[in-house]
Formats: sequence, C-alpha cells, structure tokens
Amino acid sequence: MAVSRLTGVRLAGLASAVPQDTLTLADDALSFGDADAKRISESTGVSKRYVASNGLCTSDLCLAAGERLLAELGWPRDSVDALIFVSQTPDYLLPATSCSIHGRLGLSTRCAAFDINLGCSGYIYGFWLASQLIVSGSARRVLLLVGDTISRIVSPRDRATAPLFGDAGTATALESDANAPSMVFELGTDGTGQEHLIVPAGAFRQPRTERTAERTEREGGNIRSDEDLFMNGAEVFAFTLRVVPKLIKSVMDAAEWSTEDIDAWVMHQANRFMLQHLIKRMKLPADKAVLAMEEYGNTSSASIPLAMTHTLRKRLMNEKLNLVMVGFGVGLSWGAAALTCYNVIMPDLLVVSSQPA
Amino acid sequence: MNKREFLSLLEEVIEADPGTIKGTETLEELGWDSLSVLGFIASIDERFGVDISPKELNKCKTVSDLIALLGDRVTTD
Repeated sequence: MAVSRLTGVRLAGLASAVPQDTLTLADDALSFGDADAKRISESTGVSKRYVASNGLCTSDLCLAAGERLLAELGWPRDSVDALIFVSQTPDYLLPATSCSIHGRLGLSTRCAAFDINLGCSGYIYGFWLASQLIVSGSARRVLLLVGDTISRIVSPRDRATAPLFGDAGTATALESDANAPSMVFELGTDGTGQEHLIVPAGAFRQPRTERTAERTEREGGNIRSDEDLFMNGAEVFAFTLRVVPKLIKSVMDAAEWSTEDIDAWVMHQANRFMLQHLIKRMKLPADKAVLAMEEYGNTSSASIPLAMTHTLRKRLMNEKLNLVMVGFGVGLSWGAAALTCYNVIMPDLLVVSSQPA
Repeated sequence: MNKREFLSLLEEVIEADPGTIKGTETLEELGWDSLSVLGFIASIDERFGVDISPKELNKCKTVSDLIALLGDRVTTD
C-alpha cells in the first residue's frame, strides 16, 4: 500500500493488561533441559512471560484494560462510536468477540463493533483503521482493543514457540482532534508466506479430528499437533530482514523525520536476537529502540502497546514524543506508523486474575 | 572472504572455539540447530548484505554446502 497520511486524530489513552500467572526459565528447563532452555532464553531475550490459565481469554484482558482506560479518560460509555477488537485468539468462532465485549462494557447500541484477525502487525492495522474511521467523520471516538493469548495455542514441547510467547490484552483510545499533528502509515502483505506462521487445523480448511489433535515429533525434535501454532523461525527472520528496514525508512521519509527527530522506535517484540540485529543493521540509536520482551515474551498483537506501557508510560503522559511503531509477522503482514503523541492517559500495567470469578 | 575467514564466522555463529572447524564437517557434527540457522542468516546479512533463502539453507548438510551456497563470496585461497 502507498503511504497514507492523515490528520485530525489523537492518541488519547492506552492501557495494557497481563494475566496473573507466569512461566519462567525454570519451567522451560523442565521441558527442554537446563542447557537448551538457557540457550534459547539468551537468544530470545525472554526469561519470563505472563500466561492465561483457567480459561482466561484475550477478551478478559482487553476488557480489564478497556474498563480502566474509559474510567481514567472519563469517557462516557455512550461516547464510544466504534469498538475494534484485533486478535487471533477470539472467544468463539462466532459471534465476533467485539460484540461480546461491547455487551460486557455496556456500550451504546449505536456503537459499531467488529473484529480483525491479525497478529504481529495487528496493532498498526487497528490504529490505522480506527484513525480512518475518525478522519472520515464516521466516528469521533474509537476504542481499539488488541491482544492475544498465544500461550494457549502452543505445544509446551515445541521449543520454537513455547518458551517465546506470552499473553496480554490492551486498550487504545483514539479521538477526533482538529489540532492533532499528522500521522503516517504504511501497510503491506505477502500471503505467499502464510505457511510460515500458522495453526493448520481447527477451523474450516482442516477441521478438528482425532488425528489433528495428536502431538507427534516434528522438525528439530519439536513435539506438536496440527492444532498447535507452527512457526518457521528462519523464514520469519528472513522475511523481516527483507521488509522491515525498507518499511521503517519509508515511513520516516514520508514523515520527513531524520533519526534525530525520533524519540522512540517501538517494534513488535518478536524476539531480542531479531530486534538487535535490525537495530544494528539500520544503525538505530540503541537507547531509543525499545526492547521489552524480557518479562513478557512475544505477546503477538499486544507487544507494541505493552512495550509502550512498560518503557514509555511516564514520558507519554508528560512529554511530546515522536514515535515510529512497526509490526510484522503472521500473514505474512506488516505495517508501520509515524506519529506524535502527548498528554496520553496511561494507567499502570494491570494484572488480571486467572481465577474464575 | 576466504575460506578461513568463513570458518571463523561459522565458529562465532555456533560458539565453537576459534580454529576448531576444519571445513570437512557435517553440520550435524557441529550441533547445528534452529538457533544456528538464525545466527548464520544474521551474520551473512551483516557481512554481505545478502538475504539467504532459508529453504536453500535447509538443504545444506555440510560446511562445504554452506560455502557453496555463498558462491563466489567465499574464495578458495
């Protein structure tokens, strides 16, 4: 897609939530042995992640974040014109989880609600679409809920995925503001790479059977079923090297920003090895490129807003910051945005109990 | 890059002691795994600015196969 520039939209608030329960390096050592667990962690940069248990859903995390954010913003429920839920881990095949959350949040019946099925690039897509709804005049206020519980679809014995992914849900509030500086977005897709990050079975192309549920030994000794997430790390890395440097340069050029103009680069927190390579390759200032996977792992669609809560919260509340946000992965799909944020309402990280109410 | 320099790069990727890779080994003997693959792709990107195809890399079974994959970027001297 060509670069799109839009004006009149402000990031009003952002909240992130994680489940209470955690898994650590010690748990991985039980599955993969001490040496392997340590070696994986040294590469991925992940030593802990929050995981949803007892049936806790992405919607529960997003709901908690959304409730808190609406309260802190002081937005009346009937002022939300649209609710967008971006996730690959919905509550049901149908109805759309956005409809379910709409009911639980008690939003107006005049509010539009719909889901978007995207992962690592999903925050950028959601942000772009929410902003377009506002620019078009269709909505004045949009609540963007983005998150995933990928830990619930990985095999605990697949070292490519289990030690990497954590869970989180986020809420972002966007509103119409004639004085807001312009934002720049660029989005893209390469569907020929769909097989590199996929849960092959469990929907309609390959419905669940006894066979699809069976966990068997696969490449590299990983044990997984066709209902578990598969990731070809090498292909995803190669794709990232092809796409991300050009993508970042393109939005920086469109925003007419040089490296010195940018206060923070917030990339999808895929894994530390990959991000550090990109940072080095693009000669980004290391202190301005956010790394926030150590305590959370790769939280899929939630990783960009969660990283903002973790590392930029105080600054976004008190300063004017020029941000470049970049998402890339499952699809294969990617997106980047360049935007200026200020006076953002940001609650501290919320921790949601996994115990049934 | 000559062959010795390439072997040094490979030693860094798999965290082997300098000078221990002779060039006649199979990748299996070197304990090559998915993390080695990522490290190799990154090193080649950094050194040559070349995107290696993971599919082609996956076909490599020996150190010689890796050298062949890089074509004339690794010289025989």
